Amino acid sequence: MAEKLLDLRGVSKSFGGLRVISELDLHIDEGEIVSVIGPNGAGKTTLFNLVTGVYPPDAGDIVFEGGTLLGLDPHEITTRGIARTFQTLRLFLNMTVKENVMAAAYGHTRAGILRSVLRTPGMRREERAIAQLAEQRLSFFGQRLMGYRWDQPAFSLSYANRRRLEIARATATNPRLLLLDEPAAGMNPVETHEIAELIGRLRDEGGYTILVIEHDMHVVEGISDRVVALDHGVKIAEGSFEQVATDPRVVEAYLGTTAATTK
Amino acid sequence: MATDPTDPNAPRVGVDEWVASHEQRRVRRAGLLGVVERELERVPSPAFYLAFGVAAAVVPALTSNGYVIKVGLDTLLYMLLALGLNITVGYAGLLDLGYVAFYGFAAYGYAMLASPKFGLHWATIGVIPLVVLATAILGFLVALPSRRLVGDYLAIVTLFFGELFATVYQNGEHMSLLGLTKAKDVTGGPNGIPNIDQFHVLGARIGTLNYTAYYYVALIFFMVLLLAMYLVDRSRTGRAWKSLREDPLAAELMGMPVNRLKLVAFACGAGIAGLAGTIFAAANTAVFASEFDFTSGLLIIVYAMLILGGAGSLGGVILGALVVNVSLEVLRTPGHATWVFYVLIAATLIARLRPWRWFALVIAGTAGFGFAVHAIVSAAWPRGVHGQAPVGGILGSGLGHWVILPSNPMTIGNVAFVCLVLAVLALTLLSGWIQRLAMIPTLYLAAFVWENRLAVEPSITRLILVGVILIVLMNARPQGLLGTSRVEIV
Amino acid sequence: MNWNLFLTELVAGISHGSVYALIALGYSMVYGILKLLNFAHGDVYMVGSFIGFGIIGVFGGATNLSIPVWVLLFLMLLGAMLGGGLLGVMIERFAYRRLRNAPRIAPLITALGVSFFLENAAQLVLGAQYQSYNSFSWKSPIALDHFTLPAHTVISYAEVIIIVGTIVLVVALTLFVQRTQLGKAMRATSFDREAAAMMGIDVDNVIVATFFIGSALAGAAGIFNGIEYQQVWPYMGFTAGLYAFIAAVVGGIGNLPGAVLGGLTIGLAQAFSIGYISSTFSDAVVFAILIAVMIVRPSGLLGRAAVQKV
Repeated sequence: MAEKLLDLRGVSKSFGGLRVISELDLHIDEGEIVSVIGPNGAGKTTLFNLVTGVYPPDAGDIVFEGGTLLGLDPHEITTRGIARTFQTLRLFLNMTVKENVMAAAYGHTRAGILRSVLRTPGMRREERAIAQLAEQRLSFFGQRLMGYRWDQPAFSLSYANRRRLEIARATATNPRLLLLDEPAAGMNPVETHEIAELIGRLRDEGGYTILVIEHDMHVVEGISDRVVALDHGVKIAEGSFEQVATDPRVVEAYLGTTAATTK
Repeated sequence: MATDPTDPNAPRVGVDEWVASHEQRRVRRAGLLGVVERELERVPSPAFYLAFGVAAAVVPALTSNGYVIKVGLDTLLYMLLALGLNITVGYAGLLDLGYVAFYGFAAYGYAMLASPKFGLHWATIGVIPLVVLATAILGFLVALPSRRLVGDYLAIVTLFFGELFATVYQNGEHMSLLGLTKAKDVTGGPNGIPNIDQFHVLGARIGTLNYTAYYYVALIFFMVLLLAMYLVDRSRTGRAWKSLREDPLAAELMGMPVNRLKLVAFACGAGIAGLAGTIFAAANTAVFASEFDFTSGLLIIVYAMLILGGAGSLGGVILGALVVNVSLEVLRTPGHATWVFYVLIAATLIARLRPWRWFALVIAGTAGFGFAVHAIVSAAWPRGVHGQAPVGGILGSGLGHWVILPSNPMTIGNVAFVCLVLAVLALTLLSGWIQRLAMIPTLYLAAFVWENRLAVEPSITRLILVGVILIVLMNARPQGLLGTSRVEIV
Repeated sequence: MNWNLFLTELVAGISHGSVYALIALGYSMVYGILKLLNFAHGDVYMVGSFIGFGIIGVFGGATNLSIPVWVLLFLMLLGAMLGGGLLGVMIERFAYRRLRNAPRIAPLITALGVSFFLENAAQLVLGAQYQSYNSFSWKSPIALDHFTLPAHTVISYAEVIIIVGTIVLVVALTLFVQRTQLGKAMRATSFDREAAAMMGIDVDNVIVATFFIGSALAGAAGIFNGIEYQQVWPYMGFTAGLYAFIAAVVGGIGNLPGAVLGGLTIGLAQAFSIGYISSTFSDAVVFAILIAVMIVRPSGLLGRAAVQKV
């Protein structure tokens, strides 16, 4: 019986007068791939922001591996084992591809300034390990981010490669849970298919539990063990893809009431 | 438009690899210059730093001119300051406008612990680390309430802190704790006049009044810190600082404790300024609060050095400090300054007026224009040409026949200065041959203003120049000479 | 309770605070539109002050005026506001315009450079010494030096002019921003520059207008400062600008009522510190207020926290 890796209980969040998330109960078990869907403004990215500690919820609790995440700084949450990508990419554009990934290893490494300056054997070992980790994470994407690419500045990458790099960077924090925010956004059908495969491999080979926000239903259908549908901050459906896709409330949320009644 | 994808020589525009290999596709300069450029790129940067260190070490052996060594010492102190500021601004991206306060704090701190002021004469080997540590802690404390502030707010807070510091030290001759304790003279602050503290020189081993010893002290410290920064750049902390500069939110979410990193960056920068401060105090044997406030221009000068060299670039620190300080020193004496002024103008013209006939035309036009005007004025208004050029020798007498030198240049010089500023601004709005034509009277006006006002008051002129450098630099080449142009996430 | 001291400092604080408020308004307006801290703004104030000084000189000097005091005052205000506004527009056009989309540090450093340039150019052209308005050696039956309130509190006429003048200017500005087309355009641009451009607003014009108005207010502040505190010198813009900056930040930068509130706060804090403690400590008090506001309410007293879309 897989235990709940992440558990949101009764979480609410408002911005000013606007209720963005309302009494949300959501959980994800270890090894699952769960997709979160919903029209724009449903609160999906806010959900990610709450989990990663960008701002605190107004009510409710967020429990990860048995311990609460409330009150923790975002970097502490990351070192606990949750990493994410961003809806609008947020790479370190002026750093090289490899540096982007190596930087994310900060949370689980230890060499301080003094040891770095003195180049102690321990620090050098750690640096080699970090470099190896970066290469390994980048190799996940085939040849696209390998070789000469390592020393290229991130701003020279194409859009699809930037999305891949962001995922690679997130995995370098050694997370147990990966939050992917619209990983296939802006991609053509070939790239989208690749991403869907990739997500599956991330779970199978990498062992990550994955929570995905996605709009492309083909991707959602292909990867998800479970789908959660949000609308206006409220969970309106949960279950397998077929169950959720045909749920009248979901159809209504996406297409409007006339469509629902004609079903 | 279709290119055959199987043809290895066809341009592969739009393909990912083509974009990615842009680094290798940079334009190669032809000829000797290109070869030199390519070879230079292959040399790793530590070699340059080493070369600089060796060259700098040799300088005092080549000249016994005390003035040159003093300028060298000042330049090294500036380099130290720029190096520290480079951590705060160039790496962590925090705009610290009160940076000079740390320098002053350390200088005063050293002064208080090793002078007759309080009768303390602590050993150097203890005082320097103590003062550096204290300055770093001060930097930490200043950064503490500001750690949640976005860059602009930090700028204001630190700027005010810097001024507050200068004011407190300036008025520190009756300091009492909120009026409760008796007023004591803590900083020897003046009554509106800079104070003079006399110190013993530092340690028996370096007990000399000429600056050479301090020059080497500064050089050694600088090289050590340069090496340290180079190593930090290639370490986990360096990567974290750079990530913080790029995108603090993403850095935080990738596991880097952004607030802590900011504090450490601030403290490190402050600590380095502290080190420079102790050397400054010991070398000059006196400190004045007025040297550390905004009007002294110290802050602006250090920023100009950092920006000119390229913030975030270690080599840029060296280059920026050298270029700016040497220029400023040259500007102190009207004679040298005038030569540099005209050479610089000529160089700018050569660089910007590409078909060489334009250059020749403008120069000839300006010369002719000048002689004509001079002739008219000396005929119509004799007092207009009776003044003295501030520079002697051939240049001076030549200029005397070309530039109008009124016997009383003040007012007309001031008016001309304002007109010159407006004329230069107007020039930027024009283009083509009208612009070239307009250059002629503008250049003549510039010479007039220079000879009559600017060269005559070098202390103000150098400060004006620093301001102009910053403005032009930011508009034309914000990444500085050695920095790389940057992309920014909005 | 020493009413005399209290009331004197109260009025001094309000009048000095009004000067800060006028300068702070310019800072806030420019920051709201460009997210730029225009360090050179304080120097516009300085230039305005000098323009006033020059105008006094043109009409015979303080002791020998050839025109009535009120006319002179009006001319000084007009001259300083026009001159200041023009200077601000020039600065924007030549120093900042190219940097609209550059990394934030670039316009900031440029602003520092412009400020430094103006201060030293002024020192070159106008001399480093302190000049004085000598306002109230004016010979005119209207220019009463001061009048006396209960408790023998002495309030100078100049202070009243400052307070009234500031109220008039602030009201005019508020009406302008709320009621006119250009004012609405300014508000729209400060919310979202790109969207405003897409709605057909000429963003360049709006920015120029913002700089003009803000700088004109600074010029007026320069005159007000001159008639009360008399002294003008090239570096006065730096100090006053710094305090006005803090005022804008304390009130909530980008927020016009906030700038006024901030200005009054800082002015009163300074006045009361100087009156009750000492002038050295007034700086420390202001710094403490700044830090306190930054910690407790980081976006300022009246500011809105900018919501960052992640």
